[in-house]
Amino acid sequence: MVSADPGSFRDPASRVVYDGSRVLRLLDKRGLEAWQALKATPFFGKAVADGRLIQTEETSEFPGGATGALEHPRLPLITYPYEWTFSMLKDAALLQLDLLADALADGITIKDATPFNIQFVSGRPIFIDLGSFEAYRSGEPWIGYRQFTRQFLFPLMLRAWVGLAFQPWLRGDMEGPTAGEMKLLLSKGQKLRPSALMHVSLQARMEDRMSGAAVREDLKEAGFSADLILANVRKLKSLVESLEWDHAVEGWSDYRSCTHVGRDRDAKTEFLSGVLDRAQPGVVADFGANDGHFSDIAAESGAHAVAIDGDEAVLDDLYHRTRGKNISIVVSDLANPTPSQGWAGNERPGLFERVKPDVVIAYGVIHHLIYTASIPPRAVMEWLASFDCVVAVEFVAPTDEMVAKLTANKLARELHHGRTEKEFRGIIAEIFEVLSERTLESGTRILFELKPRQKN
Amino acid sequence: MIFAYLDAGSGSLILQAVLGGIAGIVVAFKAWKARMMGRRAVATVEDTDSITDETALTSEP
Repeated sequence: MVSADPGSFRDPASRVVYDGSRVLRLLDKRGLEAWQALKATPFFGKAVADGRLIQTEETSEFPGGATGALEHPRLPLITYPYEWTFSMLKDAALLQLDLLADALADGITIKDATPFNIQFVSGRPIFIDLGSFEAYRSGEPWIGYRQFTRQFLFPLMLRAWVGLAFQPWLRGDMEGPTAGEMKLLLSKGQKLRPSALMHVSLQARMEDRMSGAAVREDLKEAGFSADLILANVRKLKSLVESLEWDHAVEGWSDYRSCTHVGRDRDAKTEFLSGVLDRAQPGVVADFGANDGHFSDIAAESGAHAVAIDGDEAVLDDLYHRTRGKNISIVVSDLANPTPSQGWAGNERPGLFERVKPDVVIAYGVIHHLIYTASIPPRAVMEWLASFDCVVAVEFVAPTDEMVAKLTANKLARELHHGRTEKEFRGIIAEIFEVLSERTLESGTRILFELKPRQKN
Repeated sequence: MIFAYLDAGSGSLILQAVLGGIAGIVVAFKAWKARMMGRRAVATVEDTDSITDETALTSEP
């Protein structure tokens, strides 16, 4: 059964399909020529060997209608730039620029520049779209420059310079902010920085003035060369390297200093180890992953851990510790997880279209959904049951110090039914089978190992 | 003809020459001058080859 990747249709030269567990890239005549030019270069072999480019094999077994096909390994999880942290997008931007510079040295160009062509495996960015490479034609400019600014540079500037999270913007507009929009967002002082004068102000002005003009021939005749692209790429690289996000104390970054975290950590780890031993999961989703301690435990047990949290700062720190580990990072608010979007509403599938866990860890998270996001406890538990797998969940009683903080400005009558231990036990008894449980030292927190009841 | 799968943006293309340094500024000036001489009109889809020459707006895995 062959199915097309819903996000792979724009380039007729190269498109991805799935044939059972195989990932195939089908090529037309032009795509095949581009591939043959790429594979003949030293650049290709080196980039694959050092893990910057996805493993690629030619295959003669492919569905009809294509001129040729390539086979790639299946990645553990596809994530999107609006689910990445600042450091992830920055590393992806640097990979994009490095690959372009190295490819150009061997007469190959990358015809676009979008983070959707990059994925993260074991804490490292890897370029996955072989169809983006083609032979460089003398005198051609870098077609992907504007796209690079909109989808890499400007989102990074938003965070580093303005202090705004780029994820909501990229989730709302996958093309990224335009130079004109960036002009509105930067302060007067920021706009005077040399890099902003060029990439933001001048680009916005030239885009306005020259909309629709055919300039590629003009540039070629005027003597445009790959050296000019390389000079631009070198400067862009040092600009991207200079962008930093200081998130010393933001959101949950000081989470580990909370008293309950250290006190309960060993007991929660032990409980989780038991759950993992019994379930032997392939994929573990860690909801509210925070510093990633429990994702680490899951990955060490042999599973692929997906660390999901709405707080970019803690996940940005975690990202730097995931090198070589089977952990994927996803910035997404569980009360509003990434939806399916793009063309026909499914070009970029929603988070839970992509993450199919065998075990869900919901430690220290459902009380935030219940008290902060005001989601009824029953709805939260029905949602957890919808994953149809074992759930390790931490119940936090209304008498807990954290709940007292979360409800400091709420009246009891404004809160949902299902908050007390007795009511909560009533809800889970209807939806789940309780496989095991453990009351933590505080007496206000209980861990449950739950399995959804079979629906009749 | 900038009517491709990826709209590179005419202004952004010329800007790239400027971003390439002194040599690029000369190229950009020449290209701009050629444009001012009125040799080229606003883009039309007359060169169908260029339509298939470019790539996706947001490319894919």
